[in-house]
Amino acid sequence: MARKNSGDRRNAVPVPEISRHVGRTTWGRLFGYYLIVAVVIGTLTHFFPSRSILEQIRTRRETALSARALFARLGESNFFPTGTPDWIDAVVQIIGALLLALPLAFVYVRTRTSQKYDQSIIQTVIMLPIVVTAILVVVQDSLALAFSLAGIVAAVRFRNNLKESGDATYIFASIGIGFAAGIHALSVAMVLSVSFVLLELGLWRVNATAEFERMFARFCAPSGADLAEIQAVARADAARPALAAPRAAPRNGTLAPASGIREQTADALADAIVPNGSRPTEKLRVHCTDLDGARPLVEALLDAEAKDWTFVTALRHPGGGGLLEYAVRPRKRRPLPELRHLLLADAGPHVIAAE
Amino acid sequence: MIRLAEPVSERDHVLGPAGARVTLVEYGDFECPYCATAFPIITHVRDAFGPNLRFVFRHFPLRASHPHAGLAAEAAEAAGAQGKFWEMHDRLYERQDGLDDRALRKHARKLGLDLERFEHELATEAHRERIRQDIASGARSGVNGTPTFYVNGVRYDGGWEDRAMFISAMVQAATGRQVEG
Repeated sequence: MARKNSGDRRNAVPVPEISRHVGRTTWGRLFGYYLIVAVVIGTLTHFFPSRSILEQIRTRRETALSARALFARLGESNFFPTGTPDWIDAVVQIIGALLLALPLAFVYVRTRTSQKYDQSIIQTVIMLPIVVTAILVVVQDSLALAFSLAGIVAAVRFRNNLKESGDATYIFASIGIGFAAGIHALSVAMVLSVSFVLLELGLWRVNATAEFERMFARFCAPSGADLAEIQAVARADAARPALAAPRAAPRNGTLAPASGIREQTADALADAIVPNGSRPTEKLRVHCTDLDGARPLVEALLDAEAKDWTFVTALRHPGGGGLLEYAVRPRKRRPLPELRHLLLADAGPHVIAAE
Repeated sequence: MIRLAEPVSERDHVLGPAGARVTLVEYGDFECPYCATAFPIITHVRDAFGPNLRFVFRHFPLRASHPHAGLAAEAAEAAGAQGKFWEMHDRLYERQDGLDDRALRKHARKLGLDLERFEHELATEAHRERIRQDIASGARSGVNGTPTFYVNGVRYDGGWEDRAMFISAMVQAATGRQVEG
């Protein structure tokens, strides 16, 4: 089979333009989410008002009825009439920051294609507000503390570029912890430390920010039409030979199409795929009498039945048919042997064997 | 292209649906070490193809070099007469070092066969004719060693030890392109 030159645009697979339409589903979900977040934040700040807010109200010279009435209401109905302790205040603010940062990640994924998608940006967008919040709970309106913070950050000089923007959040978190401890606000330091660790581990554990398609499906939960469109674009991207911007290493397991791929053993190719986060655990080889006919059906079934999967390679047999290989993380209720049998039964006439 | 002389019929021991897209026929010898090596590969292939594969086993004991092969084949047929051919087939390949009379009786006992009937059929060579017919069909089909495989009626001369190549040949057979290997 003739190998395609990577610069041969005449044979490039046309990539459909992604729709920029923001549907009702997206708007509805965003509206509903912010509504719920507003209620949650409002409730939390009502029952756990920060000391600084109460102090501001108390020291105001204005005799406006609204301010006194607000103070009276806050004093009567919250759990800490004299002001919430700093560590609880930090928890409340961090929860608020996290809830408000999540839609940013949602919109980032929605407005980016798989080519422009950067996983570490997602992690940074989620984690950085939490760190900044905790730091500012400590700093509050103290000018001295603010200048100290600026000086400390400036003093931490990176001679080597950070590999990912997400690495910077670790640096800032450590600065925040040190900062809080330095001014005897260990409770805030503890809240920052615990929340940062739990969130980072949680994101890593579910691999929520790894591949474009997985992240989109999990985070954005779009309508079926949206997802099908996004996945079609992602697959078209994967099928297009590397042109102007070749990647140094595959990130999401998509390589060149069967017609242009170098001859490597399937094992070597599978070993070359290292998605960020946890790695899919089992290898699935699907033998087909018609590669192009079988692939969409196989992948649709994997979408429905597997917890996670990554396309590894497609190899055409000289005499006809071929092999599709995937790295699959099966669900507990659908282990790999069952998944194979399901493929043989339901993935259409072109699938002849699965191992 | 060497073809199977005798098509698969009701007299054969078959695993898989009659309408399967790939039919794999094996002429095997229960005392042949290569057949024992092929056994897990065939098991894997059967599992991989699922309902798309029909597997057929026919006897071809090489008595000259494997003195216990003939009796083992008859033992498998005797077990088959009691509905447990495949269980005995698997057991004989998995325990190839035990093919003498005593071991065969032990296998029959483990499978829950009627021992009296089993031993009687072995003693009277009740299934010898069946074995002979399989050998004759193999000879007509060009079998000259074991294991010999036929994929959709065409002898496969490729390397069956290479699982990927073996499966590839069967996939191509399913596409309608015969492969001799």
